[in-house]
Amino acid sequence: MLNKLLPCFFMAVSLASPASARLNIATTLPWIGSIAGDIGGDKVTVTSFIKPGQDPHFAEAKPSMILAVRKADILMYNGMDLEIGYLPILVESSKNPKIQPGNPGDFECSRFIEPIEVPSAVDRSLGDVHPQGNPHYQLSPKNILLVAEGMAGLLSKVDPENEKYYLGNLAAFRERLEKKRKEWESLPLKGKTFVAYHKFFEYLALEFGFSIIGYVEPKPGIPPSAGQMEKLVEMIRKTRPDAILTLSYYGQREVSFLAQKTGVKSIVVPHDVGETDKVTDWFSLMDEVLKALR
Amino acid sequence: MKVLLSVFVISVTFSIGAGAQTLDDRLRTLEEAQKKLEQTIQEQKKLIQELKAEISRRQSPATQQKTPGLLNPAIGMTVDADAYHSNLSEANLEEVNIPGYLSGVEREFIKGFNLREAEMNLYAPVDPYFNLYTTIPITEKGVELEEAYFVTTSLPAGLQLKGGKFRSSFGRLNAFHPHAWDFVDAPLAYRAFLGEEGLNEAGLQLTYLPRLPVFAVVGIEALQGQNPVLFRSDAGWGIHAFSAFAKASLDFASDHTLLFGASVTGGRTETGTVIPETQFDGRSTLYDVELTYKWKPSKQKSLTIQTEYLFRHQSGDIVEAAGAVLDPLRRSQDGWYIQAVRQWGRWRVGSRFDVLGILRDGYSLSGLGIDFGKHPFRLTAALEFNPTEFSRLRLQYNYDRSARSNKVNNEILIQALFTIGAHAAHPF
Repeated sequence: MLNKLLPCFFMAVSLASPASARLNIATTLPWIGSIAGDIGGDKVTVTSFIKPGQDPHFAEAKPSMILAVRKADILMYNGMDLEIGYLPILVESSKNPKIQPGNPGDFECSRFIEPIEVPSAVDRSLGDVHPQGNPHYQLSPKNILLVAEGMAGLLSKVDPENEKYYLGNLAAFRERLEKKRKEWESLPLKGKTFVAYHKFFEYLALEFGFSIIGYVEPKPGIPPSAGQMEKLVEMIRKTRPDAILTLSYYGQREVSFLAQKTGVKSIVVPHDVGETDKVTDWFSLMDEVLKALR
Repeated sequence: MKVLLSVFVISVTFSIGAGAQTLDDRLRTLEEAQKKLEQTIQEQKKLIQELKAEISRRQSPATQQKTPGLLNPAIGMTVDADAYHSNLSEANLEEVNIPGYLSGVEREFIKGFNLREAEMNLYAPVDPYFNLYTTIPITEKGVELEEAYFVTTSLPAGLQLKGGKFRSSFGRLNAFHPHAWDFVDAPLAYRAFLGEEGLNEAGLQLTYLPRLPVFAVVGIEALQGQNPVLFRSDAGWGIHAFSAFAKASLDFASDHTLLFGASVTGGRTETGTVIPETQFDGRSTLYDVELTYKWKPSKQKSLTIQTEYLFRHQSGDIVEAAGAVLDPLRRSQDGWYIQAVRQWGRWRVGSRFDVLGILRDGYSLSGLGIDFGKHPFRLTAALEFNPTEFSRLRLQYNYDRSARSNKVNNEILIQALFTIGAHAAHPF
C-alpha cells in the first residue's frame, strides 16, 4: 500500500512545484495572451487585462491592472503607442522591476513586426496617427509569426531550461499557421473592395489582396460630422464596395446608417480573442474575421 | 556436358557471389541509412541554430524602429484659458473668504478673461533606476516650479520611493493636476483645508504594493510642510509634516470599479489664513476618507461618482504680528463633497454638491464657541465637450453660498484646455 502511495505523493509534489515555477505573463490585449499561451504552453500562466470588445486606444489604468502588472514576470503589449494612454502609468505604479523598460520582462510585440503606414511627418492635426506606423497588426499572419518567434526567443532566454519546449511549440505554431494560411488564402477575397470605419484592416488587406477604398472616420480617431456622412453616402453609392466594415467598440451607428442609405451591407468584424463564443484563440479570430469578409 | 558443367559452375559461383552481395548490400544500405539519419540530425541542428540566430537578430536593437531624438525627454504643454463672471461686484469678490474656515486668501479668477496657466511638462527615465517628472506652470505672474520629482523603478518587494516636490497622495483629488479635475475649481473642503493649490510639498514618499488577491497600496510621506493654509508657507522649520494613506480597489464584473481609501496628514502650523492681521501658531491634523465608483462599459459611455469627507482639527494660539499671544484657538471642522460625471461619447455632464461643517463646526476662541451661521455650501453643474483627448471645452455654473451671508454668488466659468506634445498618462 505504502509502495503505491509514496510514488503518488512524490508525483503530486513534483507536479505541484513546476506549477508554482510557471512564468507569469501579463498581456494588455487578449490576442497577445492567446499567442503567448500557444508558445508558453503549460510552462506559463497568462493574464490579459484589457477585456475583449474594449477600445484598446482608450482603456483606463484600473488599479486591478496595476496589480496584474505587479505580479507579472513578463509584460507583453501591442506597442507602437497603442497603449500609451495607460500603460506607462501601469508599469510605473506596479513597482515591479522585472517589467520596467529595458528589462527582459518588457516585451513590446511590435518590435518584431514589419510596420506599414509609417508616416514621414506627423502632427495631431492629422488625428490619432501613430508615429511608428499602423498599430493594428494582429490580423496579419506574417507579422503574428514574427511576434510568435520573438516570444519563443524571449521565453527561451528567460527560462533556458525549457528552451526546447518553447522552440517545439513555435515549430508547431508555425506549422499550424502555414496550414491555416493556405486555407485562408483560398477564400475569395482577392480584388474585393471595402469601406472601413477605422484604419484597422490594412495589414489584412495587404496580405489577402483586397482593398480599403475609403474610411468613415475623416481622420483616425475623429468621428464624422453630418456633412461628411452625406459625402460618404455619395461616395459609397458611386463606388459600390462589397461591404462597410467596423468593429464592435465603435462606429456601429455610423456604419449601419451608411448601409441603410446605400444598400451596401455592413459587417461588424470581431477584433480580439474572446469577443464572441466562436473566437477562442488567435486562429479562430482569423477564421471568423475572414469568414465575415468573404 | 562440358557446357552444362560450366553453366552449373558459373551459376554456383554466381549464386555464392550473389549471396555475398546481398549481405554487403544490406550493410551498405544500413550504413547509408545511418548516414542519412545523421545528416538529417545535423540539418535539424543547423536549422535550430539558424532559428535561434534569427530570433536573436530580431531581438537586436538594429531591427527596432527608432525615431531620432529618442533621448530627449517627453515635452508637453497644457494651456488652461478661462472666462469668469459673477453677479457680485468686484468689491464683493475682493476676497474669497469662508468665515470660520478661511480668510485673507486671494481669489483665483477675476471677471472677464483669465489665463490660468500654461503648464509645461518634461519627463523621462533618468536611468534604469529612476523616472523623473517636472511640471512647470507659466502664469502671467511668472514661472513656478509646481512639481519636480523622481520615482524609483527598481526597488524590490513592491516598494517605491518618490522624492522632490510633488502633489501628495493624501486624499483622492489631491494628486490630480487642476487640468485633470472634473470641474474648474476644487471642492470647498479642499479650498478651506488645503487652499486652492492642494497639498503640494517638497518631501519624500514611500509606497508599498503587496502581492495580494486585491489591489491595496499603503504609503507614508515626510513633508517640508509649506502648505500656506494647513502648515506654514516659510520653509524655515525643516521637515514638520507627515502623512500616511491606504487605498484599495475592487472590480465588479468587468465594467464596475470601486476605489476607496483613508488618509491623514498633520504637522505644525503657522498661518495667517484664520483671522486677518494675525497669525495662528499651533498644530493641525487633517483626515480624509475617499470613495470612487466608476462604471465604464465602453469608450463611449461612463459614469463616475466620487466623494470625499475631510475632517480637520487645529489647536494653538492666535498671535499678533509682534509675537504676543492674543487668544487660544481650537477648531474641529469638516467638509464633504460628492460629484457625479456622466459621459456620452465626446460629451460629459457633471454635477457636484459640496458643504462645510456638516457634522462638526466647532470653533472656539479663548474657550468661547463662536457660531458663524449657516453651513457654507455650493452647487455646481458642468457641461463638457471633448473634441479629442487633447482638447476640452467646459461650461460651469456655481451656486455658491460659502460666504455664509444671504448674498448668493452665481458664478459662470468657461474653460478651454489644450494639450500639445507628450502628456503623461493620468492615474485612475
